[in-house]
Amino acid sequence: MDDARLTERHLSTDETKIAAKGVQVYYGDNHAIKDVNVDILDKTVTAFIGPSGCGKSTFLRCLNRMNDTIDIARVEGDIRIDGEDIYDKRVDPVQLRAKVGMVFQKPNPFPKSIYDNVAYGPKIHGLSRNKAELDEIVEKSLRKAALWNEAKDRLQEPGTGLSGGQQQRLCIARAIATSPEVLLMDEPCSALDPIATAQVEELIDELRAQYSVVIVTHSMQQAARVSQRTAFFHLGNLVEYGETGHIFTNPEDPRTESYISGRIG
Amino acid sequence: MTDLTAAAPVPKTSILTQDKRTKRRNAAEARFKAYGLAAVLTGIAALILLMGSILYNGLSSFQQTYISLAVELPAEALDKTGNRDPAEMRSVSTFGYTPLIAAAIEQKMAEAGVQIEGLSARDAGALISKEAPAQLRNYVLANPEVVGTTVTFNLLASGRIDGYYKGRVTMESALLDQNISQAQLQLADAFRDSGTLVTGFNWAFITSPDASDQRPEAAGLGVAILGSLYMMLIVLALALPIGVAASIYLEEFAPKNRWTDLIEVNISNLAAVPSIVYGILGLAIFINFAGLPQSAPIVGGLVLTLMTLPTIIIATRASLKSVPPSIRDAALGVGASKMQAVFHHVLPLAAPGILTGTIIGLAQALGETAPLLLIGMVAFVREFPDAPPEGFFDPASALPVQIYNWTQRSDPAFVERASGAIIVLLIFLLAMNALAIFLRRRFERRW
Ligand SMILES: Nc1ncnc2c1ncn2[C@@H]1O[C@H](COP(=O)(O)OP(=O)(O)O)[C@@H](O)[C@H]1O
Ligand SMILES: [Mg+2]
Repeated sequence: MDDARLTERHLSTDETKIAAKGVQVYYGDNHAIKDVNVDILDKTVTAFIGPSGCGKSTFLRCLNRMNDTIDIARVEGDIRIDGEDIYDKRVDPVQLRAKVGMVFQKPNPFPKSIYDNVAYGPKIHGLSRNKAELDEIVEKSLRKAALWNEAKDRLQEPGTGLSGGQQQRLCIARAIATSPEVLLMDEPCSALDPIATAQVEELIDELRAQYSVVIVTHSMQQAARVSQRTAFFHLGNLVEYGETGHIFTNPEDPRTESYISGRIG
Repeated sequence: MTDLTAAAPVPKTSILTQDKRTKRRNAAEARFKAYGLAAVLTGIAALILLMGSILYNGLSSFQQTYISLAVELPAEALDKTGNRDPAEMRSVSTFGYTPLIAAAIEQKMAEAGVQIEGLSARDAGALISKEAPAQLRNYVLANPEVVGTTVTFNLLASGRIDGYYKGRVTMESALLDQNISQAQLQLADAFRDSGTLVTGFNWAFITSPDASDQRPEAAGLGVAILGSLYMMLIVLALALPIGVAASIYLEEFAPKNRWTDLIEVNISNLAAVPSIVYGILGLAIFINFAGLPQSAPIVGGLVLTLMTLPTIIIATRASLKSVPPSIRDAALGVGASKMQAVFHHVLPLAAPGILTGTIIGLAQALGETAPLLLIGMVAFVREFPDAPPEGFFDPASALPVQIYNWTQRSDPAFVERASGAIIVLLIFLLAMNALAIFLRRRFERRW
């Protein structure tokens, strides 16, 4: 591990974007998340790492209430974005999800044109008044997702015709087209080859300037490369949370240490 | 190394000779392929036999024998007052037209110099269908100006004469048949030689209504096709929206619990309920309770809707299920509501499956007979129903019921008609299935 690179990275902000307190998630009788407390910072990339099945995705999906779509899932505790409780009765999860975008493990573009993929979110949220504005949003989103140059001549072609890495960047463009404040990514690179992975990682680093990014990854190298803060999950518990450099060089918990050194996971 | 050489020597085998196990395995595979092929061939043979017999019996119903006669339409017989008013001319019934045809035949025989021993004028007239005077009358009432002139008509030949040229009636069978004599057949042959007797495509079989027992040559499918069409419209208009809405609700919105499980099981059960049960239900509810008219396409359509719903629901749910969940996640992830996710993304992907299921359900309904018998659609209907929506409440027949009806009649000419009607029904079914395949190909998209 490149320690020098880790330590020279500084945090751009200390403002809390998401504050989670005492979060419990149950799938039926399965207690999948056990009393997790975590403060996720704005304009920061936060990585969730841990062995598979430890609840990283589950916790991530609490942050935009995607768990609502699973009948047997039950979420308890308090999660606030900018101080507002997202599980408050008055919150419409649909509105919340425009604010908290999500990118999934497997690239899942709609079977529509590249343009329509990106334009869909802005359209249903009424973010543009006319075609010209929509075009602008689409171009801006594709540029931010580093896909504009490859896609600008084939906007009307199906998004499913792109390569895996391009599809994932299209999904990122689709997510940022609704101008979210938080971007959740669930193992966004696990279906990609190393070159596409590098492109997406670079992109994540750029997105940090505007968004609070939370990324789930099972690759510790990736966490080390892209994140400023890292949370280590184990069997539904948040074992350790702190600066990425600190976690990778000086883990406090023995479980973190053995995971990082490759003994569990 | 030493260990390896010390181990018991493995006998060297050649891949050029098959060992026993391989031989047995290959033999089993060959046997299985033979069974499969035999099964397929049996199926194909049965199909060919079925199709062959239907085509053999039925194709001739699309041909019809006509007798071309120049009929004089004297004003003194048809329009006594002389002002060509169809309302007054209606007072002359079909009986008034019969002598005109007889006279035309007599004249034709004289022209051609045909003389046949033992043939009365009455017998000669019987070459023409009993339907012909009505044909003539309808024409005259529609065109009053032809009265007083001589017009050449292609009049329907009687069923026996038609059968004579289709091989159903022979000189020998005429001996035993009270309805036809050898002398009449000789006259027919003479007419044929002189070009008076002609055959042509039988459009009337498709367009005209049913006819009574004595005149199979005039029987057509018009009312039955229209009745079936009306019922299909009703089924499509009711079963598709109800079925799709129910499926979307059950599949995408309803909580998964004991109640929805119960509903799911019962929908599958409903699909297996014998169709006659739906007929009894229709009789009890739509006719006896709701007081809708018997024999009407509206009742048939409602009953067939009930029957088709489970098929459509099952097909729709299956195609909704086959849409990958990642598409729903993607839509919800950008903040679409559940309904938007379903209508913008899931439904378009499921559409080919839904359409296919609907068309297959419709095709089933089109061929369904039993429930229609119970709600009185088996009645003898000669009047065309009006245009919809009023026509939905007029008496009508249906294709499969018409087929059933004709097979019950005594005149063998109706067997030919029934087979012909089966061909028409099969053409409709094949067309619908072809449409289903076309739609699936057209809208199927990969994701
Ligand atoms: N949809 C679900 N229904 C039931 N149990 C689930 C579901 N998703 C995840 N789980 C369970 O929750 C636990 C955590 O899963 P997950 O959050 O997917 O782990 P990770 O993303 O860290 O691999 C696992 O035990 C898993 O079996
Ligand atoms: Mg996961």
